[in-house]
Amino acid sequence: MADFEPTIIAFVCNWCTYTAADLAGTSRLAYPPNVRMIRMMCTGMVDPKYVIKAFLEGADAVLISGCHPGDCHYINGNYKARRRVKLLKEILPRFGIDEKRLKLTWIGASEGVDFAETVKEMVAEIKALGPSNIKEQMVL
Amino acid sequence: MKKKIGSALVVGAGISGIRSGLDLAEQGYQVTLIDKSPNLGGVLMQLDYQFPTDHCGMCRMLPLVERDASSQFCLRKGLFHENINIMFSTELVGLEGEPGKFQVTLRQRASMVDPTRCIGCGECSRVCPVDVPDEFNAGLTNRKAIYLPIPHNIPNTYVVDTASCTLCGECEKVCPTGAIDFGKDARGRFRILVVDDELVVRDSLKEWLEDEGFRVDMAESGEEALKRVASEDYNLMLLDIKMPGMDGVEVLKRSKDIRPEMPVVMMTAYATVETAVEAMKIGALDYLMKPFDPDTLVPLIVQLYQDIERAGEHQMEVGSVILAAGFDSYDPANGKNTYGYGTLPNVVTSVEFERILSGSGLFRGKLTRPSDGKEVKKIAWFQCVGSRDQQADADFCSSACCMFAIKEALLAKEKTNGQVDTTIFYMDMRTFGKDFQRYRDRAEKDHGVRFLRNRVHSVELAGEGGELKVVYADTQGERHEDVFDLVVLAAGQRPPSTTGALADTTGIELNQWGFCQTDPFLRSRSSREGIYVSGSFSGLRDISESVIQANSASLEASRLIHSKGGGLSEESVSETTFRDVSRETPEILVAICACGEALPSAADLDLLREGIQRQGSVKSVQVIDRICTQEGWNELEQMVKEHEVNRVLIASCMPYVYGPKLKDLGQAVGLHPRLMDVVDIRTRIFPGHNGDKKEVARDMGAVIAMGLGRLRGMDPMPVPQIRVIQKALVVGGGIAGMTAALAIADHGFEVSLVEKSEHLGGNLRKLHRTIEGVSPQELLEETIARVEKHPKIQVFKKARVIHSQGRVGRFLTTIEKEDGGSEILRHGVSVLATGAREAKAQSYEYGKSEAIVTQHELEQKMADGAVDPKNLRAVAMIQCVGSREEPRNYCSRVCCATSLKNALYFKEQNPALEVYIYYRDMMTYGFLESYYTQARKAGVIFIQYDSDRKPAVAVDDGKPKISAMDPILGRELTLEADLLVLATGMEPAENNELAELFGIEINQDGFFQEAEYKWRPVDSIKEGVFLAGIAHSPRSVAESIAMGHAAAQRSLRILSSEYIAAGQIVAEVRHSICSLCEKCVSACPYGARMLDEEEGKIIVDELMCQGCGSCAAVCPNSASVLRGYRDQQVFEVIDAALEVML
Repeated sequence: MADFEPTIIAFVCNWCTYTAADLAGTSRLAYPPNVRMIRMMCTGMVDPKYVIKAFLEGADAVLISGCHPGDCHYINGNYKARRRVKLLKEILPRFGIDEKRLKLTWIGASEGVDFAETVKEMVAEIKALGPSNIKEQMVL
Repeated sequence: MKKKIGSALVVGAGISGIRSGLDLAEQGYQVTLIDKSPNLGGVLMQLDYQFPTDHCGMCRMLPLVERDASSQFCLRKGLFHENINIMFSTELVGLEGEPGKFQVTLRQRASMVDPTRCIGCGECSRVCPVDVPDEFNAGLTNRKAIYLPIPHNIPNTYVVDTASCTLCGECEKVCPTGAIDFGKDARGRFRILVVDDELVVRDSLKEWLEDEGFRVDMAESGEEALKRVASEDYNLMLLDIKMPGMDGVEVLKRSKDIRPEMPVVMMTAYATVETAVEAMKIGALDYLMKPFDPDTLVPLIVQLYQDIERAGEHQMEVGSVILAAGFDSYDPANGKNTYGYGTLPNVVTSVEFERILSGSGLFRGKLTRPSDGKEVKKIAWFQCVGSRDQQADADFCSSACCMFAIKEALLAKEKTNGQVDTTIFYMDMRTFGKDFQRYRDRAEKDHGVRFLRNRVHSVELAGEGGELKVVYADTQGERHEDVFDLVVLAAGQRPPSTTGALADTTGIELNQWGFCQTDPFLRSRSSREGIYVSGSFSGLRDISESVIQANSASLEASRLIHSKGGGLSEESVSETTFRDVSRETPEILVAICACGEALPSAADLDLLREGIQRQGSVKSVQVIDRICTQEGWNELEQMVKEHEVNRVLIASCMPYVYGPKLKDLGQAVGLHPRLMDVVDIRTRIFPGHNGDKKEVARDMGAVIAMGLGRLRGMDPMPVPQIRVIQKALVVGGGIAGMTAALAIADHGFEVSLVEKSEHLGGNLRKLHRTIEGVSPQELLEETIARVEKHPKIQVFKKARVIHSQGRVGRFLTTIEKEDGGSEILRHGVSVLATGAREAKAQSYEYGKSEAIVTQHELEQKMADGAVDPKNLRAVAMIQCVGSREEPRNYCSRVCCATSLKNALYFKEQNPALEVYIYYRDMMTYGFLESYYTQARKAGVIFIQYDSDRKPAVAVDDGKPKISAMDPILGRELTLEADLLVLATGMEPAENNELAELFGIEINQDGFFQEAEYKWRPVDSIKEGVFLAGIAHSPRSVAESIAMGHAAAQRSLRILSSEYIAAGQIVAEVRHSICSLCEKCVSACPYGARMLDEEEGKIIVDELMCQGCGSCAAVCPNSASVLRGYRDQQVFEVIDAALEVML
């Protein structure tokens, strides 16, 4: 699987993680280009159907990343995301998706380094897991 | 966005300056916000984590209503607001006129980098040969002379530090856009006259300066100089002071008669420095010290040249000026005891420690020892370095250091999974704010932070690796030693270095330490009318208090502007009518920024263009060079007009920068800014990211396709506007409530003030003297009289609120009046200021002797003469009675000052009287510290006790006997007093009922709960309901007044227009598929949704909705949607992200 380059869909919040990703970019921190960032206002608005849709359309992994607990611009959206991801991780295997392909992290605005590290780690993990073949399996 | 007549200048763009600026801008005034540094945010830019969440949250200061007028992204990144003009590297240098009509002169330092051309590529920085300490990392790292002040800030324009720049010109050569211009050509036209009697000085100056390209003439005497000045046109004269015949000062005076506008710089030896300073008073620009060294002198003169020739001076008229000049950090290296700072490795200040911990700092968030990069295992914090230290000329407490030391200790624990050992050496732990005490207790009990009430004697090197041996003495004088990896000095606050100049310019008075002198009760008022102070400059404060103070300053400024005729009248703003594109199919122009050679050399542009062209709805793909420059932007505007598209997607770098520019473009082409978007393709090709050109094009294509996916579904609609009932309700007629009522009414809005008792005035009626020695009764009487006579205020005494419903802008509240009848009040905002009361004493034999009284009782007894200090022999006071321990585990903040006030009064009246104060930690924060010092000097005896070892009181023959362990003597001490005063602190009145009526929360102690402790301290969680005074948390009279102002200020941003707009991104409901499950109602963190039972549908309050989308995510039917993030849009974006298109 050496040649496999996973595609990761990242739902990032407008306030913290998007800023961190931007900082990672502008500080010239090298991170793999495998991640496609979708800016949401808050992780609390990441509907489970977006996550499932991403997997069904062929994403090898999904990252949801927002503000640290207690730090949400919208008071508690990140807690809602945390609950939702926990439930999603239980449901995903029923679709034949390894729950390890979904990840939730908190990355604050100044933590550009953490963003780059998170993406690097995740790419390595997913490379080890291999490509997701759910798109081929699912005939909807 | 609304615009009102009137404008203000805010000096200082730190937290308090931003807050004051936003306040006035939200009200509709035009604000000019300046800062002497090249960046926004003040010291907060360096701090990633703040108490109590130990994270950030600064963005919560951004507007909640009329959101689209302001930037809606991380505030640490930058700030835009339609009504704020931000100017960096700018100082206030002139102020004339009168309140309401000031003429101000601002001087902006030349940047040498043209911000309209700089693309932030950083090539200049890479070639710069200069290395100087980087302010952003508190000097722990180096930067270049051309640099980005804050790496994550936008606009990301590089600036030149002219003081350290050697003018080598390397950066000018490599700049791809020609943005850098040192202006060497212009120097040949800059004529300098050197006047000195010594030939060697004249010659060498001429040589050095001509090498730099200036045109230099010489004169060897004052007489010759004056002749030349009269006949030639010089741009600068360098003038020696000590010359035979006519001396420099005389030449200066006469030359000013001939050519008053010519700048003159004096040259002086050390002996005549005072004369040089005198010369500056009669018009010299500056002075230079002999002997001269070309390496330092030449850059100085170049900088003078820059200042004279290229500094832009701006004149404007403003109604009011707010000074938010902030503070400087104390430099421990200058102190008498440096604790090894500057000489020993691993001794850092608290700000440096923040940079060590920061993700954007030098160790990228890893807790590392600066000397050798090793893991840190043991850290010590020393409190009160440069604070509470008369030797350092600081008889004050910096107020914030105790809490940030605890925070830093907890962060260190968090970063190391609790492995690091943390010790805080302190004198008093000043946990005087709301919830501070519990935070400290948690740090101590749950996280194992060690607190040692000890003075550190010295620090020395303990080992090869940079370990530090700390020698300290305990309270009994015994010597101890311990070894640490890192020592953090809690360096205190000092007045900013520019204070003197600022005071001279504005004519305000400073206090003895160089901070602004304010009115004892109105802390935002300086000694000059029309000039207000905000934040730490008005006295040492933490963030929360700075924000309240900033609100107070803007309220005062607004009140002044209003009284001079501004404020009320709305300025007509020509609203652009955008083209209605709702019935057109999307036609998109994609503009790709080539960024010089960067894009063509890294990506296969033809492939990219082809791929994008094939995407749905794309009408045209254009590659434009450097869209961020003015030329590029003009080209883009031309393209949009030419292709007659109805949507625009820009693919470039830094989407953030484009917010205001898109609005301008929208105005120019008549297209709604929501129909334009910017995606970032530049990051993909930064060094280290490169790949195969085709692959890069593919990645970029995906990013652009995702942008297209979202843009296609955009359907801008008019921003919802809500009609506001422009009236206020204030509950509680104490000083905070009355202050708020007056502040709102002074702006011309009606206020109903509801007070449950028969008198206005609340607790202040019981207070006869403050610690400053002034009587608050005069202020109280005046305030009551103004409230009762104010035509816009209706007072209801002996009345109470029995019902309230509605939301921000539209409340209906029923009150029960004195006569038993009820009345319904309609209002747009509510201010709750219901006060608190002195807690009851339940210990220390209270009630068993008349000689044992509470602080309030003593105040009363002294007022009616029942207690006369002359008849007393000994008085004891016990602090923290029932407070700072569960269940009332909070500091009441005023009791220590009250005890000191009484003790000082007793000593003044009867110096022989013995006064003993039993305390846990003396909470004399800020300038109160000086009274603590005075009390010790006056002979008041302070005995420290811990909560697990309280004093014991017995009553013997009616007299209290107090026994306690004296930690200094190390033995039990018993004494008999004629009077024992118990400081019981405050407890809230019945807030529960009111909280329930207005739908807000109370904290575990029964005080009203604010929306956010630091950034929104007077807002409740429910928009439109504001909190003021001691119903929110214990505070002093002046602090309650500031909070009354703050609540009024927050109210005015809603009341000041008949209609108020929400934002573009708000939630809505598709009623046809809504099943009324009400999941969204409970998911909404702002209470913006409710079930309208009569209509049988869910309604959204668009003003309260902040657009977080929580409701949309929980809706099982997709009936709840967030504008701009409809399911279809997000699905399209996901599809585009995963489609392999090239």
